[in-house]
Amino acid sequence: MIGNDVVDLALSKKQSRWQRKGFMDKIFTPSEQLRISTSQNPESMVWNLWSRKEAAYKIYNRETGIRGYFPLQLECDCSNQNEGTVHIKGFRYFTKTTVDADCVYTIAVATKEHFDQIKTMDPNTPITKINGIPYQNNPQIQELKPVSITHHGRFWCGITL
Amino acid sequence: MNKEETIQELKAIVKPYIQNEEAFENLTEDTDFINDLKINSANLVDVILDIEEKYDIVIDNEAMEKMSNVKAALTIIETQLASK
Repeated sequence: MIGNDVVDLALSKKQSRWQRKGFMDKIFTPSEQLRISTSQNPESMVWNLWSRKEAAYKIYNRETGIRGYFPLQLECDCSNQNEGTVHIKGFRYFTKTTVDADCVYTIAVATKEHFDQIKTMDPNTPITKINGIPYQNNPQIQELKPVSITHHGRFWCGITL
Repeated sequence: MNKEETIQELKAIVKPYIQNEEAFENLTEDTDFINDLKINSANLVDVILDIEEKYDIVIDNEAMEKMSNVKAALTIIETQLASK
């Protein structure tokens, strides 16, 4: 099981006012808020943690079929700026996050070994969605392969195992 | 609470965040904020905060979980207004 999420930092700057009253409390736990407020670049850390939650949610959604908006329940545990785990209701997902000046990108996996097996998809790959969850359609072998796709602003990333 | 009126108010609230104009024009109770209106998931919290401000209500985590479509939002607004 895999999930990914990209944030275009230029677009999020336009789209989101993360400093508005109430925003942080609806999305981040007290310990996550502390990590953000003590970070050298709080804005980048907001999207770093957000993309971890989103990537992990995609696995959780696929595994459980549960759909909803519960960012606070997806708790980030950060080993460092690039690695960590996300926990939700007894599930644990591993995350790897890359950060640069333009974007934040997280890949989440349910099994750590899967990090090494992840393949990047071609943007033209035909995708089928079942209950909002994407699969790569391979008509030759009649197989639906789970994929995770994310796009935001200038960036598109699709991955599969 | 007049449902039609509230739907119109809700439309005004979500308008800045929508990315699918057609779904927005044809908005019904079944319209999904993320799948249909293509609202960015980080902006869903803005929709929630805007609703809280507009109606002077609190949308707790439990209610927020269910905020997937127009119908759910209407129910939450109605419930919170009734308990005020």
